[in-house]
Amino acid sequence: MKKLKICHLYPDVLNLYGDRGNVTAIKKRLEWRSIESEIINANIGDKTDLSDCDIFFIGGGQDFEQEVLLKDIAAGKGRAITDAIESGKVFLAICAGYQILGKYYKTHTGEVYNFIGALDLYTVGQKKRMIGNYAYECEIDGKKTEIVGFENHSGKTYLGEGVRPFGKILYGNGNNSQDKTEGARYKNVYATYAHGPVLPKNPAFTDELIRTALKNKYGDDVLEAIDDTFENNAHDYMVRRLLNK
Amino acid sequence: MGKIKLTAAVIACRFTRWVLRVIGKGGTSLPGEVAARLYPNVLADLAKDVNTIVVTGTNGKTTSSRMIEQTLIESGRTYFCNKSGANMLGGIAAEFCQNSTITGKKKYDWALIECDEAAFKTVSKYLNAKCVLVTNVFRDQLDRYGEVTHTLSSIISGIKNSKNAVVCLNADCSLTVSIADEIHNRIIYYGVDKPIYERTVEEISDAPYCIKCKSQYVYSYRTFGHLGGFKCMGCGYQRPVPQVSVSDIFETSESCSVVSLKIGEAQYKVKINLPGGYNIYNAAATACVGYALGFDAETDVKALETFECGFGRMEMLPINNARLRMILVKNPAGCNQVLNFLCNNKERSLFIVALNDNYADGTDVSWIWDVDFEKLLTVDDKLSEIWVTGIRADEMAMRFKYAGIRTDKIKVKKDYSALIDDIADYDGAVYMMPTYTAMLAIRKRIADRFGFKEFWK
Repeated sequence: MKKLKICHLYPDVLNLYGDRGNVTAIKKRLEWRSIESEIINANIGDKTDLSDCDIFFIGGGQDFEQEVLLKDIAAGKGRAITDAIESGKVFLAICAGYQILGKYYKTHTGEVYNFIGALDLYTVGQKKRMIGNYAYECEIDGKKTEIVGFENHSGKTYLGEGVRPFGKILYGNGNNSQDKTEGARYKNVYATYAHGPVLPKNPAFTDELIRTALKNKYGDDVLEAIDDTFENNAHDYMVRRLLNK
Repeated sequence: MGKIKLTAAVIACRFTRWVLRVIGKGGTSLPGEVAARLYPNVLADLAKDVNTIVVTGTNGKTTSSRMIEQTLIESGRTYFCNKSGANMLGGIAAEFCQNSTITGKKKYDWALIECDEAAFKTVSKYLNAKCVLVTNVFRDQLDRYGEVTHTLSSIISGIKNSKNAVVCLNADCSLTVSIADEIHNRIIYYGVDKPIYERTVEEISDAPYCIKCKSQYVYSYRTFGHLGGFKCMGCGYQRPVPQVSVSDIFETSESCSVVSLKIGEAQYKVKINLPGGYNIYNAAATACVGYALGFDAETDVKALETFECGFGRMEMLPINNARLRMILVKNPAGCNQVLNFLCNNKERSLFIVALNDNYADGTDVSWIWDVDFEKLLTVDDKLSEIWVTGIRADEMAMRFKYAGIRTDKIKVKKDYSALIDDIADYDGAVYMMPTYTAMLAIRKRIADRFGFKEFWK
């Protein structure tokens, strides 16, 4: 039986906005295809071995807890995360998790926090939050796909040369509400601002992560189709509402 | 000049309210806004001579208020309160206009005011509260309030504006207790000394790390969420010993809880006339307010045994053979408590969730994924079906699918009329968990068809 090991990074502090639903979505869609999964929580202070994990998830959190987090990253996990990314491991990074993979965060009062620096991007805080349901278009498995989610961030993210945007904004703000880009892609890292959580109602996205991880591990990229009626209903409702389709 | 303006504002407020009633709108905040526009000091003038109790915090405001109201009734005190969930500045100003004389003199000795946490900071400037109760601080509608720490600072500003108030704080909530360091008021703590449920849902703690030094808390026991006997090993910050506490829990059933309540030095056995662990907290909060204000404890205990709750707080709305109970939810913490209740329920029932994402519900519905709906699998044989309705019914249906509920057991019923027809045909216990605007809409339809009272009447 095939098996994927999923690492949930910092669920103790980066656990806002229902993002753990993404881990549930991956786990369930593996289970429905008779693929085994194991979920490992890597909390602050844990000396978890990250090297044999197949999919990494890092979600959103609130500012109050980020100081504790930065200390732990500096103590070694930052290095381990960069190594996993460079070796082609699958990463889903959302909101604060997305920003943390970047180089730094500059607050609206000018303080600079150095982040992991695994991705060529940085974030600048502003007072006004960008909040609401939003939609973007990206290419998944060779097909144009509309992703729907809920954004809630005050940081504006700007991408460097080393990464490419994940999608193009159809409705809402995205990375910085200026250049119409949303999220970032680098190797097998998928970074986005989409809460919701994003994976359950965008099953094509979930399957892309699973397919990539299976290919990494077993060299095989065919995924059995499953009944997505519930998922598509939730997805299509939001597409209709935002894009009047 | 002030007197004339005050009178004009009171009249304008009442007239606006009357017009809204006549045209069939239950508008609760507009009349107060009209009054404040005419005379900005209207609330301060009207509240000046009234003994005001303010109830704020994330969860339990309404139920605690109704329990406190019952203590005012039992003790024969004259009072008014903002009953219809109008808990922002406009709604509160309107209640004061409605419950004074035309010239702005007080008609009642006491005002019992349920106040939105974010609005408290402003409302408090006018109220000169005699007592402030903070029920707890949980994550709530983050799209609106920002983060938990913002809610806290709003409450702190509110208490700083309430210099003459005695403050009642939930000793089991590490976030709420942290308020104590920021204020100079007299403080009375209340709490629950033991775990409440046999089976509890898995919850994300809203406060795993010490708010003061950021070390991890250890707990001698937990009741639910982040509530319980917390202690920080880093700086020693810990649960204070409460003056009012639930020291023992004898029974929790589908209709009530029987507990031992310590009020100061005295001990009472109390039957709390409303089920659910969170209502044990609300009862302790009520006893705490009574203790803080020097009310007679025996009268307060009697109030807890007799009071009946309404408006979506375990409210019973029988429809034919369906025993429908409505349980309003606004956030994961509240929702987890409903699930704790359902998972300890021994009777077969139908569960309905009505999920809307209007402003008053919170526009971000992602919190349903922070709730341990998976726990329902442990009582799968007790749930006949699960129905979902509301604007985000499809999202909710999907959530149940991912919780592991069989998809043929999940029914999407978006049309409220058809939904109510189906409830009317059901025989047995029905628990409906709506968000705020879904509750208003569904309750109104049920009221129209089956003749229940509208909430503002």
